[in-house]
Amino acid sequence: MTETTADTIRTGDVVPTALEAAVTTTDHLRIGRAWLASGVLLLVVSLVAGLMVSAERMDLTGMAVFGDVDSLFRFWSAYRVGFVLLAVVPVFVGLATAVVPLQVGASSIVFPRAAALGFWVWVLGAVFTVAGFAIDGGLGTPGAVSRTDAVALTLLGLLMVIGGICCATVCILTTIVAGRTAGMDLSRVPLFTWSVLVAGSIWLVTLPVLAANAVLIYVDLTGRSAIAFGVEDTIWGQLSWAFSHPQVYAFALPLVGIAGDIVPVAARRRHGNHQALLVLTALIGVLSFGAYAQAAFDIGTPVREQAVFVVEAFLIVPLALLVLVGLVDVLRRGVGSRRTRMPAPLYLSVLSVFLLLDGMVLGALRAVAPLDLLERSTTGAQFTFTIGAALLAAIAGTLWWGDLIVGRVAPQGFGLASALAVAVGIVLVAVPDTISGFMGLADFTGGDRGGAGNPEAGVDVLNTVALVGSAHLLVGALGWLVTGVLRLRGARSLADPWGAHTLEWSTSSVKVTSESPLLDAAVEVGA
Amino acid sequence: MLTTGFKLWFGLCAAALSAAVFAGYTSGGTETGPISLGWKGGVGDHVTYVLFVTAAAVFGLLAVIAIAFRDADSEAVAEVLGVDTPPPAQTQVGSSIWPVLGALGVATLVIGLVVSPALFVVGLLLLVAVSLEWTMTNWSERATGDPEVNRELRERLLRPIEIPTLAFVGIGVLVLAISRVLLASSVNGAVLVAGVVGTCVFGAAFLFSRRPNIPRRVVSTVLIVSCAAVLAAGIVAAATGEREFHQLGGGSGGDHVEVGE
Repeated sequence: MTETTADTIRTGDVVPTALEAAVTTTDHLRIGRAWLASGVLLLVVSLVAGLMVSAERMDLTGMAVFGDVDSLFRFWSAYRVGFVLLAVVPVFVGLATAVVPLQVGASSIVFPRAAALGFWVWVLGAVFTVAGFAIDGGLGTPGAVSRTDAVALTLLGLLMVIGGICCATVCILTTIVAGRTAGMDLSRVPLFTWSVLVAGSIWLVTLPVLAANAVLIYVDLTGRSAIAFGVEDTIWGQLSWAFSHPQVYAFALPLVGIAGDIVPVAARRRHGNHQALLVLTALIGVLSFGAYAQAAFDIGTPVREQAVFVVEAFLIVPLALLVLVGLVDVLRRGVGSRRTRMPAPLYLSVLSVFLLLDGMVLGALRAVAPLDLLERSTTGAQFTFTIGAALLAAIAGTLWWGDLIVGRVAPQGFGLASALAVAVGIVLVAVPDTISGFMGLADFTGGDRGGAGNPEAGVDVLNTVALVGSAHLLVGALGWLVTGVLRLRGARSLADPWGAHTLEWSTSSVKVTSESPLLDAAVEVGA
Repeated sequence: MLTTGFKLWFGLCAAALSAAVFAGYTSGGTETGPISLGWKGGVGDHVTYVLFVTAAAVFGLLAVIAIAFRDADSEAVAEVLGVDTPPPAQTQVGSSIWPVLGALGVATLVIGLVVSPALFVVGLLLLVAVSLEWTMTNWSERATGDPEVNRELRERLLRPIEIPTLAFVGIGVLVLAISRVLLASSVNGAVLVAGVVGTCVFGAAFLFSRRPNIPRRVVSTVLIVSCAAVLAAGIVAAATGEREFHQLGGGSGGDHVEVGE
């Protein structure tokens, strides 16, 4: 066994305490681990909300779980917001914070203190968001059951979450652009780094729009009527664009890079055309810009019925298909030469691209006006396929780069089992929702079953399957959490466990610690 | 030669601009509106058009920066500087408390917006203080090539401000917290609390002075736990409210005594 070591520069002789080290760190690996751990924990919280909503959907007339429609809606929206902004995106940010600097040959992330600031702002914002949802706030209609101050707390928490993600993204993108080692042209960076560059660029121009939406709603909610924008009664309507087609593709985009980095190493074959994959990733990024697809101040034809929405929905499908074809081609060429068993992250990453493609096909179908699927449960199915695919890729990424990030080995079999539970969960949730959507079931099914659109008895069976799927998702997420805990207690990892011979496995992080970081100065207390 | 970064962001810019024009024409824009940024005619759906054009502007700016600095390639940087070996891409910086304090400042500000304007001001002050400290830390780290000299420089400039300010704020907060506890307790309870707190402070100070070799970790833990306990007690007491007071004496002159139960 070879221990992966890191250089350490210490400015004094006093070793910081564990608490000092935790709250004052600027080490990108430690910050990345913090993002990952928090993201997985909040994923479990989000999936619990999702499971409760699925259970309630079994019998909406009784409202046995939540008691009223407002509470059901609050948890329903909490699940979607939490799944994306408190779980999947933060996990990608964590992976990128830890891995990207090493992939480009930098010894640390650029602006490490800003990266730490991004994490702390995000995590406190996440706590406020969850608290807002929990204390009758959320994104529901204020004045009914929701409390105005709690809704305000949710919105402000959401703003902090967005601010934290954007701050961290700026640090990562700057590292990619300005922190590369000599000789590494941007066109030669690994696919994960490239996908983060593209996705991060899109996040930085779309998340501030979401923040602006939240600010407008906040002003309407708490400000004077003279400056009201008139959107306080449709909070979810203003924000929902960020959690549906095409914006969800931007959040899931790093999965293309994860698969693109894992497949060639596992298959022992280079990509047929690296440049083509870079271009395809960039094109998917272009088409995933979704800030325009919002209902704010909608006049005339709703934007989701306009040509640009339809064209975007259809153009993105062949691009994802080409990515998949490229990956399968590498696999096909590599399988024959491999004598050993393929690693678990390989299967998961390829499966994630398949699921993403499913989500994109469904997105295209939603844009077909005669099918009338825009407000149906196909919206939820498309969300589950796309963000679920991203989750699966994130698990693959942590299993692949976890040895590098933590320095210890995880039980790959257990991790694979957890990820498969997630994959089964995604299919069991998304497929019934797709069918229900074609049968006319609304995306949000509230207390009034007739009004919400619950046309046939067959939907009950589909709801049962979706409930089982939600349970699978939660079990898989818990399994992922346990895998992480087991990794902390695992054996020390090899320097390059996959035999990748890529830069991230050979670059050392430089950790700089101050002797008394709480005061940023040399103050010794005691010996 | 066009750099990869330029190609990426210029491509995103061109795509966003094309999408803006396309969206403009397909959502009710006039003949010249979408191609003239609305100068001559309507642009169709305003929100869609503006968002696409803004995105194009941002991507365009990034593209210009990328090509101006040659994607920040090390070789290009070395060529500009006229040196053979490219300089390090980044300066290593040490760990710091300011990020977490900055986040706490934002959090306090947010809670203040929801709960109380006073808390909002506290958050704002905390953010201002963190900004100043962070700026000074960054400046001092690059003042000279010697870290020791840099640290001394920073200490000489900031310690005369930091220590009195921290002492003022720290003592003020603790006094406020303990006063809330004393006001919330009964008369006898307040005497008891004052006695116990005073004895604990005196005892701890005596112990630390007699044993200077106590590990730093123990001292920090004792101080942090004690401060947290006092703060928590102060918050709970403030939430509980003061005990009932009965006025003795009276009259309009204001000469009266308040006695608690």
